[in-house]
Amino acid sequence: MDKKYCAYICTGCGIGEALDIEALTKVVTSEMSMDCKDFFGLCGSEGRAFIEKDMSENGVNTATICACSPRVMQNEFNFGDDKITIRANLREQVIWSAGAAEEGKEDAHKEWLNETASDYVRMACTRAKKTELPEPFKMETLNKEILVMGGGIAGMTAALEASKAGSKVTIIEKADKLGGKALGWAKQFPTKLPYAELEPNSIGTMVAAVEADANITVKTNTEVARIGGAPGDFGVTLKAAGEKSEWDAPAKVGVDEQDLISKGQMEDPNAGLKPYAEGNPDAQKFGAVVLATGWVPADVSAYTHLGYGVNDKVVTNAQFEKMAKDGKLSGINSVAFVMSPGGEENDQDFPYCNSVTSMVALKQAKYVRENNADAKAYILYQHMRTPGHMELFYKGVQQDDGIFLTKAAVTGVVAAGNGCTVTAKDTLLGEDLSLDVDLVVLAAGMEPTTKYESSINLAYRQGPAFLDLDLFDGYADSHFICFPYETRRTGVYTCGGVRKAMNMEETIDDATGAALKAIQCIESADRGVSVHPRSGDKTYPEFFMQRCTQCKRCTEECPFGALDDDAKGTPLPNPTRCRRCGTCMGACPERIIGFKDYNIDLVGAMLKSIEVPEDDEDKLRIVIFACENDAYPALDMAGMRRNKMSHMVRVVPVRCLGSVNMAWVRDLLSAGMDGAMLLGCKYGDDYQCHFVKGSEIAAKRMENIGDSLSTLGLEPERVRSEQVSITEYDKIPKLINDFVDEIVDLGPNPFKGF
Amino acid sequence: MNVQPDLEFIKYLKSAGGDTLKKCYQCATCSVVCPLSTDSKPFPRKEMIWAQWGLKDKLVADPDVFLCHQCGDCTAYCPRGAKPGDVLGAIRAYAYTFYGWPSGLAKLASSSKGLPMLIAIPSVIIFVLWLISGGISIPSAADFSAHGYQQFFGHWDFHWLSKNVFFIDIIMLSAAGLAVVAAYKGVSSMWKGMEENAGIKSAFRPSYAQFITEFLWPSVQEIVQHTRFKECKTNLDRVQGHLPLMLSFIGLFIVTAWSATANDVLALIPGLKFLHGPMSVWNPVKILANVSAVAMIVGIGILWSNRSRKEAENGVTPTYYDWFLIWEIMAVGVTGLLAEIARWAGLAAPGYIIYYIHLVSVMMLFLYMPYTKFAHLVYRTFAMTFERYRESSFGKNPIDM
Repeated sequence: MDKKYCAYICTGCGIGEALDIEALTKVVTSEMSMDCKDFFGLCGSEGRAFIEKDMSENGVNTATICACSPRVMQNEFNFGDDKITIRANLREQVIWSAGAAEEGKEDAHKEWLNETASDYVRMACTRAKKTELPEPFKMETLNKEILVMGGGIAGMTAALEASKAGSKVTIIEKADKLGGKALGWAKQFPTKLPYAELEPNSIGTMVAAVEADANITVKTNTEVARIGGAPGDFGVTLKAAGEKSEWDAPAKVGVDEQDLISKGQMEDPNAGLKPYAEGNPDAQKFGAVVLATGWVPADVSAYTHLGYGVNDKVVTNAQFEKMAKDGKLSGINSVAFVMSPGGEENDQDFPYCNSVTSMVALKQAKYVRENNADAKAYILYQHMRTPGHMELFYKGVQQDDGIFLTKAAVTGVVAAGNGCTVTAKDTLLGEDLSLDVDLVVLAAGMEPTTKYESSINLAYRQGPAFLDLDLFDGYADSHFICFPYETRRTGVYTCGGVRKAMNMEETIDDATGAALKAIQCIESADRGVSVHPRSGDKTYPEFFMQRCTQCKRCTEECPFGALDDDAKGTPLPNPTRCRRCGTCMGACPERIIGFKDYNIDLVGAMLKSIEVPEDDEDKLRIVIFACENDAYPALDMAGMRRNKMSHMVRVVPVRCLGSVNMAWVRDLLSAGMDGAMLLGCKYGDDYQCHFVKGSEIAAKRMENIGDSLSTLGLEPERVRSEQVSITEYDKIPKLINDFVDEIVDLGPNPFKGF
Repeated sequence: MNVQPDLEFIKYLKSAGGDTLKKCYQCATCSVVCPLSTDSKPFPRKEMIWAQWGLKDKLVADPDVFLCHQCGDCTAYCPRGAKPGDVLGAIRAYAYTFYGWPSGLAKLASSSKGLPMLIAIPSVIIFVLWLISGGISIPSAADFSAHGYQQFFGHWDFHWLSKNVFFIDIIMLSAAGLAVVAAYKGVSSMWKGMEENAGIKSAFRPSYAQFITEFLWPSVQEIVQHTRFKECKTNLDRVQGHLPLMLSFIGLFIVTAWSATANDVLALIPGLKFLHGPMSVWNPVKILANVSAVAMIVGIGILWSNRSRKEAENGVTPTYYDWFLIWEIMAVGVTGLLAEIARWAGLAAPGYIIYYIHLVSVMMLFLYMPYTKFAHLVYRTFAMTFERYRESSFGKNPIDM
């Protein structure tokens, strides 16, 4: 496209009064060789008409809007898919962050303000010149069918909901029939007001609905051997449940392990398996995957004082449910439900216990009472969790004359006569208790299947499983803030017990969400745009492979496993797996990865356009690479609250700190700028990074660059990476100003002027 | 503690006004708002879970159950609508039946189903005795104005004991005697239970005199002054009813004691024969009697209207247990006063019928005292006494002190 540029300076919102518009115009016209026009209130209908007129009459197709933050007025400044719009943030981050002038320095203050504004205009104009119109990635073939793994409530709901939305679905189920855990329920929790009575098990209705649905194919006794490919084009190899296959997903073998294997010092874990990158020609094609493999009851035999496994009068909640289902409760007149293993100083529940296990105890106490009007059920808990309407269920159960609840630390269970004696301390009754009961039921937790196996069986370079699930105790949860169902594998969405312990109603809600996510993903792949968190982004990373050195950094660091590789280690991009964070671009030492509107050259040129005054200690230049997701909006908010920020900083928005290539930092320092800060999201156990790994990787890279700076004779303190959350706008100005003060103390960059 | 919940006990409490007891979730708001609850043994939170768990033995021997004056603050503030005040009332009702002797009579008095029988027993006894006494006749106007009800059971000229007094004594002394024995048995087994629960060993005990002066008498004083009752601020209007009512009972007790002494002892002494009734309206004892009767009606009337209002406004559960005593005392007061009015008016026939009803209601009051709400008279007194006792050096192991 032949680009015709024009910069538009808005003089509204105080910009016209605070800045020297004439000087700014001159910067654009002389330095940037672009047309420049100013207007009061560009975001209004007249302002928009003014720009549109210019576009239609003079053929402008690349507009640089020098006004407010790019985070606001996005529709007002959207001129269509065939136009490029670049924003210079003169309002929030220049005039609103300038603060009041110090006494006697009014002129200098004004001068600094205009310099800052000029630099933002220069950067925006440079960016406009370097940005190209994106063309969405189009797949050659696209399959829109959804694969649902697991035929329980979650899986069946996902299938039914996807079918209702018009999708074809295949459910695979390991067991010989649909239904999952629900098949074993004697009764189910109440689902409607007044939430008092247990309801007959309704799973049969759901199974019938699935079986009657023409859009849904059910394959029982079936498992997934491996899933290769990418959203819109997953190649899924199925196998009979429990059998081994040469197409089973291979374990990840790193470089070092491969080395050992070749030397014969280590057994190849993937012996007899097809390599991960090999596609099965017979694989079935799917567009997206919903993982609903659920949970398994946890083992409770480690708690020897409770006698499980030794005393046959001690059973788990899962076993008791089966007894109730099979009608084997006769002769059981008193039951103690033990919710926590107890011990002296331990108020923890059994591992993987949760609101569902609390409610199961309430439900099973009802079984005891419904079976025999004189029977007694004791519930000894440390935590009783009955969220939402289930509080009414709890109240209802509590009303039962023969159900006795108390918080208690259970100290032991011993066999006595035909039953057991349960002892407990720290009870609400104010005394230690001993209860003679016929049966003791332990609340075994619900462990997600992903705790023990990959479940999803991906044939990806980064291995068959979701990464870092130990952060979530094995639950298949990405911990994307505000984004449930997401995983670190695009096109794979989880729901139900594998993601989080939940009851039937929650599961149905959850599975509905996951089904819609899967559809959304396929539709996005069809349009060639990104899914969350850069939903709708048409750009994708492009690789200049001729210069690739097979260093594997991009394939290793991609948080989403989007890149496979060939035998030599050359990356094989899968654009529909990609979330467009640019972590590969930040990783690449050869700088061969980039997007149409965001690449090494573009940001490098923006940095070069910043004017670096020489020999003026009041005019140091410090670049802040701010993550667009949290740090940049936080900076905007700091401006909205008129928090003063040093006039020496220049903020460059980046997609994710992971995309910051260290070449930029080196280049800006060699260009005489005085410092650089990376401002991104929190990382670690409770990370807030929208791309999971970006800020963590960036922090590591910054540590390394510090070392190489000192070999150049530069203080490593000139570069720093900081973590902020979006709500910390009140702390950001101090964080930045303190850093500026440190740089001022270090003095100007000795390379200035070279 | 080996726990054996008593499902029947829970069912009883639920039927006797404590239908909400299972709603409690142990937040202890009740114990916090209760003006009478103590720091060391707060109630009624613990009583609520004991009740939920059907721990009958703990509750019937729990002095705190009787310390409650049922102001209803806990019920008003309970976030779950568990109405602890009503539950404690039900526990007290249960305790009176539990300790009641003979147990058949106690059981009869425990629910409205027994009410016809409760009325029938004294009605028949008094009617039969009336037949036996041979006094079966309505007196002439002259006799009525001369003797009032003094010859209800007829008349003989046996100097030392009038026929009327003889029959009244047979009826009332045996009823009261039975009540005293029953109350004694009940209170002493409650006391034993309370000692056991509080872990008080009986080896170290006060003398009777010590017991009375240090524990019982201060409690009686406190009760007469209504100090604790007044601590329940919401109860101030109930105090306005309860205080005159209690004073009227004391007044009537004095009147009865004086009448018995004067009629049956002093009047026998030659020269003091003028002490024999009926008394003049201006006799100080008669004045006390009339003032007490009015105070009784006014007091019970206030309690009646308070309870109705609380039931209508505060959701207090109406129970037979509460209403029986209100009706009963009202019946005693109203029939007594009406009988007196009938005498002044010289209406012999209506007077005799009212007097008969009066005798029935008084006998009911005496006879059923240990099993109905009236039993709080003794049980609460001794619970308050026990509270002092357990806090004293007798209540603590001397080795621990």
